[in-house]
Amino acid sequence: MSHKILGVVTFMYLFIFFLHVLYFAVKKQKVISVIWATFFVTIGLHTAGLAFRWLESYKLGIGHAPMSNFYESLIFYAWSISFVLVVMKKRLIFPAITMLASLVDLTLMGYASLSPSVEKTIQPLMPALQSNWLYIHVFTCFIAYAAFAISFLSSILYLSKWKGFQLPEEKLEGINYRSVAVGFPMLSAGILTGAVWAHYAWGSYWSWDPKETWSLITWIMYALFLHARLTKGLKGKKMAFFSILGFLCVIFTYFGVNFILSGLHSYMT
Amino acid sequence: MNATKNNIYKLLTSLKTAIFLLSFIATASIFGTVIKQRADIDEYLSVYSKSTYRVIHFFGFDDAYHSPWFIAAIVLFAINLTFCTVGRFKRFQKARKSPATLPDEKGLSVMQMYFFAEKTIIGHIINSLKTGYKTVHEEEGGVVLEKGAVSRYGVYVIHASMLIILAGSLIGLIFGYKGFIVLNKGETKNSMVVRGNEKKMIPMGFDLKCKDFRVSFHPGGEPKDYVSSLEVIENGKVVLKKDIRVNDPLNYKGTYIYQASYGSVPSFIFSIDGDKVALKEKDTYEKDGLILMVVRSEKAIHDFGPGVQVAYLDQDEPKTVWFLKNVERLKERNIQGIDIRFEDITEGFYTGLEVSRDPGIWVVWTGFAAILLGLYINFFMYYRRIYIRKVPDGIIVAGHAFRNHDAFREEFEKLKKKVLDQ
Repeated sequence: MSHKILGVVTFMYLFIFFLHVLYFAVKKQKVISVIWATFFVTIGLHTAGLAFRWLESYKLGIGHAPMSNFYESLIFYAWSISFVLVVMKKRLIFPAITMLASLVDLTLMGYASLSPSVEKTIQPLMPALQSNWLYIHVFTCFIAYAAFAISFLSSILYLSKWKGFQLPEEKLEGINYRSVAVGFPMLSAGILTGAVWAHYAWGSYWSWDPKETWSLITWIMYALFLHARLTKGLKGKKMAFFSILGFLCVIFTYFGVNFILSGLHSYMT
Repeated sequence: MNATKNNIYKLLTSLKTAIFLLSFIATASIFGTVIKQRADIDEYLSVYSKSTYRVIHFFGFDDAYHSPWFIAAIVLFAINLTFCTVGRFKRFQKARKSPATLPDEKGLSVMQMYFFAEKTIIGHIINSLKTGYKTVHEEEGGVVLEKGAVSRYGVYVIHASMLIILAGSLIGLIFGYKGFIVLNKGETKNSMVVRGNEKKMIPMGFDLKCKDFRVSFHPGGEPKDYVSSLEVIENGKVVLKKDIRVNDPLNYKGTYIYQASYGSVPSFIFSIDGDKVALKEKDTYEKDGLILMVVRSEKAIHDFGPGVQVAYLDQDEPKTVWFLKNVERLKERNIQGIDIRFEDITEGFYTGLEVSRDPGIWVVWTGFAAILLGLYINFFMYYRRIYIRKVPDGIIVAGHAFRNHDAFREEFEKLKKKVLDQ
């Protein structure tokens, strides 16, 4: 059941992307309303898909939230991006941003369901993951990753300067800063909840595991970004490059650490 | 001399230094994720050449996060953060204490947000404001209000919390320890193995007994749950009993004991002079002058199945003898007039326990709670001021937010609509 729903959700993201293309072709405000309406239906279905997978895991007798393996994390990441879009809707009225975000969602969902190297079955949780800290830790981290993705997209738009989007640069800078201002406290919360959890599960709140270390590097990057913005007036191209560099750290923390480095967080096979 | 002092002070208090140190710490951290940390020399030599390893070891890259230069960078950062924060706080206090003033018409008209209303009573506009605004200044024909003033403290709370966390981790680094204990079912130990450059045993200050160990599996064979029933014994008395599992450690007077791993070792069952005795490898048995020790075991000796080699003293001279489980002739032997029969092999579970003591943990937890609070008030609240001034033909309302301009614009537009619609 959840597979079918999530399959539909994948196509919905594709549909939303095409709606954006349509918007840029005709430039009618009506299309925007259709886009958001479709988007709300999609995120509803996406949530339902996650909920069904959760229920199905209980039927298998290994009940746990869909946050444990690589497949589930990809689906959850896509959900988080949609979630952040909804929360920041007022500031993200720009179709250029929602278009790129729907493309990212589509890529994540498509990769999760189509790549043969991604294990899709519901697997039991290893004892170290059997904790309520899992939910709060994964949730905060992925909301942070999602907010940073939005910051990244606004930077890409800033640098691309494609006339068709007609986005005021200051607005893009504003979105860039606001998403980091959401992502940074969430990442901090993610790291801290992870540390508390690690204390109870592994016996140490910080063990310089590659994932921990890279999350710290990411945290430092965005801390520098915020300081440069607030006290040195960072803006323009420099700001965009800084944000892209920060997101590269996010990507490495999320994917790179699991595929290249090994450590305590090696759950994603 | 004074000039140098001044320069050092400037260096310590500048934001540039903070940015440099943080960048340095971030970059240096990468080494530790690429090069294996705290491994044996042989492991490095299997990956790197001897000269490369010498360089790695010289700079401490094989234990990067505990190397003197890394710790020095963190200490410098802590000092710099303290100076930066205190300096900023002093300037902030000075600014905060200077009384709020109401700018003149011209001053108001250049503010971020501004509108003019043909009204006469200031009180009506104040009533239209969102709740939470506080009057900070009042004069004839004008008023200054503010909201979210607490958000200005966020940055100090965050920075102070980071210092608290660093202090807590320093306490842990100096006064804490980490160790490992392996306990067989029924076994009691009072010391643990501490990992470091060389392994050593240190006493825990109490006895720890593993009463029982259980493991359950998922249908697919993955471990589902493993539990050690532990007893803490002090002065011969059981002072604490607890079943520990992964994610649920035991805490005895600040010493945490964690379920870390488990495994099984073969246990060899002998009947010695009629007594059933279970011995593991390297276990000794002593009775009536007979001393036995299991020195080796093999799963298969040629085609004869499992066997175990036992050492004993024959008139002060060590001798060894093999017992084979499946060969009747070699199953039973007589050593010094005592019949010894090798009965069976059973798998005995042992539990791997992580022991840690960190007196700084509550300092760290306090820092965590405080930093979350600081992040919340810094990022999810914001400080803004609204100025209202009466002019001959109406009232001027102006506003200024120090951050989060978009949200303030929305709020201000709503206020404007409300006032003008009145």
